[in-house]
Amino acid sequence: MSRSDAGADGGSDPDRVPSIARRVVAPFVDRSVAERLLISVAAILLSIVVGFVIVLISGRIAQCSTAAWTMPLTGLGFCYDPVEVYVVLFNGALGYPFAVGEPGLFDPNWTPFNLSFGLTLSETTLLIFTGLSVAVAFRAGLFNIGTQGQLVVGALATALTVLAAAPFLPEGPAAGVVLIVVGTLAGAVGGGFWGAIPGALKAYADANEVITTIMLNFIAANIAYVLVLEVFRAEGSSVVATRYVPEHAQYLPWFFPESSDFALLALLVGLGFIGGLYYLVEHTSFGYDLRTSGVQAAAAKYGGVNAKATTVRAMTLSGAVGGVGGSVWVLMSEGRWMASVPALGFDGITVSILAGNNPLGVLPAAFLFGILKGGALEIGFRTDVPTQLVGVLRGLIILFVAMPEFFRMAGRFMGMGSSGPGGPGGSASTAEETGDDSAAVGGGEADA
Amino acid sequence: MRNPLADVTIPILDDLIESDYVRSLIVGTVGVLGALLVFGALFPDSVAGDLSGIVFSSSTAASTSRLAAPIVLAGLGGIFAEKSGVINIGLEGLLIISAFASVYVASVVGIGNAVLGIPAIWVGFLAGVAASTALAGVFGVVCIEFKADQIIAGLAVWLIALGLAPFMSTVFFGGVNTPNLGARVSWRYSAVMVVVATFASWWALNRTAFGKHLRAAGENPKALDTVGVSVSKVRHAGVLLSGVLSGVGGSALALSIGQFVGSGETMVQGKGFIAIVAYLFGNYNPVGTLGAGVLFAGLDAVQIRLQQLGYAVPDTLVQTIPYVVVIVVLALVGRTRLPEAAGEHYETED
Repeated sequence: MSRSDAGADGGSDPDRVPSIARRVVAPFVDRSVAERLLISVAAILLSIVVGFVIVLISGRIAQCSTAAWTMPLTGLGFCYDPVEVYVVLFNGALGYPFAVGEPGLFDPNWTPFNLSFGLTLSETTLLIFTGLSVAVAFRAGLFNIGTQGQLVVGALATALTVLAAAPFLPEGPAAGVVLIVVGTLAGAVGGGFWGAIPGALKAYADANEVITTIMLNFIAANIAYVLVLEVFRAEGSSVVATRYVPEHAQYLPWFFPESSDFALLALLVGLGFIGGLYYLVEHTSFGYDLRTSGVQAAAAKYGGVNAKATTVRAMTLSGAVGGVGGSVWVLMSEGRWMASVPALGFDGITVSILAGNNPLGVLPAAFLFGILKGGALEIGFRTDVPTQLVGVLRGLIILFVAMPEFFRMAGRFMGMGSSGPGGPGGSASTAEETGDDSAAVGGGEADA
Repeated sequence: MRNPLADVTIPILDDLIESDYVRSLIVGTVGVLGALLVFGALFPDSVAGDLSGIVFSSSTAASTSRLAAPIVLAGLGGIFAEKSGVINIGLEGLLIISAFASVYVASVVGIGNAVLGIPAIWVGFLAGVAASTALAGVFGVVCIEFKADQIIAGLAVWLIALGLAPFMSTVFFGGVNTPNLGARVSWRYSAVMVVVATFASWWALNRTAFGKHLRAAGENPKALDTVGVSVSKVRHAGVLLSGVLSGVGGSALALSIGQFVGSGETMVQGKGFIAIVAYLFGNYNPVGTLGAGVLFAGLDAVQIRLQQLGYAVPDTLVQTIPYVVVIVVLALVGRTRLPEAAGEHYETED
């Protein structure tokens, strides 16, 4: 790993010598992107290590008849096997492509079109939309915690619109395409409207968007619940939910098993959104306004950017993307709107933070959290470890991503202490190698 | 928009509260309750009669104080953290972790046993406070020493607690909900703790040197640094206090029922976020926070009683009221202003 070695060099003199890795990487990617990437990877590795310790400790405390794992040398028995947990988590989320404990690296019978991988990709698809929603607002310097509410409103708008429009169209693939397009638009309008409210409040009443979006999440959930409970509830339904939208208006699960709730087409739409938003943010004048008001609001204003309008537009766009996420949730996963909407919007915040708020970074980040979700189910099936472990890992990842300074300090320490970093120390050093510039990144984050 | 209630003078309160805004809130609340009492007494058979019967009944007082304790106490903690310049959005997580830890330790000690002469339930209470303070301490180190983004770190605190409490509950008890302890803390203790904490907080913030330092750390850290007081120490103290107060609130919530419920959003159910609402609504004044917290909790308690009496009140809509109120207040009055340096790191210049 030449990068880590270079990191150790950089660590010995972090202020002047540009590391080899940076010279190699810099021409290809924006430097701050590289830093974010390294910090994200280091954060993931560190949370895996902390999760390992948590599993170990709780495995010592929990009661069981036979030890699942015995610590080498000490002979201490543990109820949970911390290695197996991670093997099951990552291998299981993909449908066990790797043959563990058998000859050969790969299982020859594995196909990508299995149920577990479908569930993982289904979650990934939904998180792409919510992650993008948060990322777009973040780039404009707005912390949209309200993606959850925008998703709830968008999902309800989609379900009601498709249910209302379906009887006017003949059944068939053509009508299905029309209904999906109309439903997606309705979701975008609903979510965009719900996102425009905190945007306008921020722009014209100077109301802090963190507070208003948190409030609007609760309001959206409660109002949607009451609306469906009192008006739109499906007859004879035991849960609070609308009727199912017609089968032909849902995304078809092409190659994957139906129960995986995954449609390749929806993932492709998500990829299209990633590309589109990346282009919009990085290569258009609107994107330029967005980014400058995010980095330096006063300068943007001085440079002729209409700050108020940009704020409202950014929040509307963010809400609309969240609303499309809601429409995909209805048309791909559930087939209807139902209460107890999963916390996709909150997970979108974690996806966006891990992605460094870069639309392109949202794809791997969403995939990672998709794996955590898919893997959690497998942990529940195959091990005794409580699946809530995954929730802890998610929180830890976010905590560590939020503190780049820690990795810089750790990297400095490792750089001085040893020249051959390994394990989590190695990742800390890689964060360090580009560390002296990420102070600016950290500062920018604080302003946002 | 001139507030008509702002000019009403109240002898004792004027001394306690400088802000017109908070004073008018209190006058308004007392006025509404007074009018309700009068109408209820005049027309005992009407809705007003039922309502005033509910509002002034002791069972409503009990459930209000039970519901208000976590909101007000976490809100007071939020004031200390935010006044010092650290926005603590992780109050919800602190409530969750203390609610679980208090029940867990109380059940480990065993109801009926005592440690050093302290009954198990109060040992659990102290453990809840300790757990919340420890998590707040981690949050403080991450924000102040490692210069993390406060909002993101606060969210992480919430997410970690949201995962960790049900995880630990499953490890120890085999399910996300703990078994019921079979013992509980009376609501009177909660009520007393809330009132004492409110006035102690007010005194600490407004009448002590520590309170001055705290406000300076949030408004003008450079000035504080110049007079030789460590900004990071003051901020650590503010964050730790938010942990202590939230711990009292979370423990009181769980022990007033005798159980920790970990399914969904756990038994805390967004009370930490309502706490943020309460102290913003009270404009960072502890007395105002108490008023707002009791108001929100009281609304919920009255709504529960109304349902029991057979009035078809959509409970979900009543629960929405505090959130809508906050948005309207933020939009129209716009009184709440974050401390100048809140959310920013402070770098000592040696």
